[in-house]
Amino acid sequence: MEGKVDYLSQEWRDEIEKRLKEEISPERMKFLTTSVTYIYKNCPDGNDRFLHFKIDDGIFSSILVDTGDPPDGEFNVTGDYEVFAKITQGIMKSQRALMGGKLKLRGNMVKALKLASLADRMNKVFAQVPANY
Amino acid sequence: MVSSINNQNDPYFIDFPGRLAQIQKAMAEENIDVYLGSRLRTLSWVTDAFCPWRSYIVIPAEGLPTAFTFVIDAARVADDSWLDEDHVLGFAPMGGQDQIDQIADFIKGLLKNGRGRIGIESGMSNYLPEGFLTHYEYEQYKAALSGAELVNAHTIIDRLALIKDEGTINRFREASRIVDVGHQAVYDAIINGGYKGMTETEIAGIAALAMRRAGSEWEWSFTGGNEIACGYRTGLAGGACTPASRKEIKAGEPLMVDIHSMFKLGLGDHSHNYLISPATDRQWWHANNFLDIVSLTLKTYKAGTSPALLAEEMMDFAEEREFADYMVPGFEHGIGMMGDEWRIGLNDGPFPYWTNPDHIYRENEVLICAMQYACPDDDIGFRYENPIVIKKDCCEELSKYPLGIEEIK
Repeated sequence: MEGKVDYLSQEWRDEIEKRLKEEISPERMKFLTTSVTYIYKNCPDGNDRFLHFKIDDGIFSSILVDTGDPPDGEFNVTGDYEVFAKITQGIMKSQRALMGGKLKLRGNMVKALKLASLADRMNKVFAQVPANY
Repeated sequence: MVSSINNQNDPYFIDFPGRLAQIQKAMAEENIDVYLGSRLRTLSWVTDAFCPWRSYIVIPAEGLPTAFTFVIDAARVADDSWLDEDHVLGFAPMGGQDQIDQIADFIKGLLKNGRGRIGIESGMSNYLPEGFLTHYEYEQYKAALSGAELVNAHTIIDRLALIKDEGTINRFREASRIVDVGHQAVYDAIINGGYKGMTETEIAGIAALAMRRAGSEWEWSFTGGNEIACGYRTGLAGGACTPASRKEIKAGEPLMVDIHSMFKLGLGDHSHNYLISPATDRQWWHANNFLDIVSLTLKTYKAGTSPALLAEEMMDFAEEREFADYMVPGFEHGIGMMGDEWRIGLNDGPFPYWTNPDHIYRENEVLICAMQYACPDDDIGFRYENPIVIKKDCCEELSKYPLGIEEIK
């Protein structure tokens, strides 16, 4: 990959999909089946966006980035674009954002705890993608 | 999952879906769309799991309830309960996951257009871990569920939980069998001079070890687990609460052993008393008074009597024998699955949230036959507690440990 892509653009989506499939095996994803929707409020263009992952048996089967009505995930995480951008860049920890109320999680907290390490693993992949925020 | 729900031949089987159906029927009769339970007794009665952290149960008009507890304990509660992990959720201090946000959000999903009547549990109790909704919680839920009306509805659970089913009674029977093991262990430890150098806390521990070995989950009472008192501590005026202290057991003093076990949320609670030799004639006079009134009380309990009728009869007997001054004029306290303690029956007496003295006992109510004898002037007192099942013409004593006061040489 050459140069930077815009964060949350289709190019960025394609790049994270490629890297997630290359770098995180179904085994490392614990053959998990779940879905997560990140809802980005107050994006720089004034719109809200969502980033949706569907994972089947540890395989990333669907990754969507779009505006409009977000699909309902098993877990839905809502927050400001700026907060998510800081997390993706490694400036802020997601746990800290949740504990400080900067992100809002909907879904079974007990299951979410089990998935926390996987979310961190995915985030490390996102952080490697050179992007314009 | 360790809940006794799947095997109807299990002596401890309780029909929890049946309980749920009864609650939902009562909710419909009172036009309640969602029930938000917060009392420990409600959690125990509906989930079949011990919920020691602040917990709630949301019961919809139809379908399974969902329990909410502190996230660190949610997986264990789900494992113990008949409810699966999708119906036992954890809350935590995180965005969207604190109890108010999470539960209000969940309830909104059950209401049509956010409107309806939500049953809550509000009131007071002298049992500290009761778990009524706090003023803060009430205000927060009211604000978060602004389209709904919050109404007090705990009587739904109180009424349904009053008469015990066979599985519940069997759990109490087993808890009482375990308590008897604890009493035997204490007796074996203190006889033949074994008491010398022992403290109240050590005796509490001896009973606890024996009961745990016999399968007790914990010494459930919030009064300090196993309550042990010796010497003057047995005779504190009205003193029906004696967390074990470091006081040493001494010759010539009384010893009160009040121990507690829990088996599948059924509760054991039995007190036995001793005189450490040498006992005086005066001490034996007190002891025999106590044994006689306990004996008479147990013979008097049956369906149709009431706390007031029974107390009057017993206090007349004590007056006649000239020991009424030493009796606490109460002969019972309520009991149910873990968290249900103290008040007998419903909240329908002259003093709100206290036992109605005119409550008429019915068959298969379970209560603790409890009485306290205390003579501070003589530094002597005795306690009797035993879970009993009310029968048509008598009561069943669940602890079978023989009534008596032994002089320990």
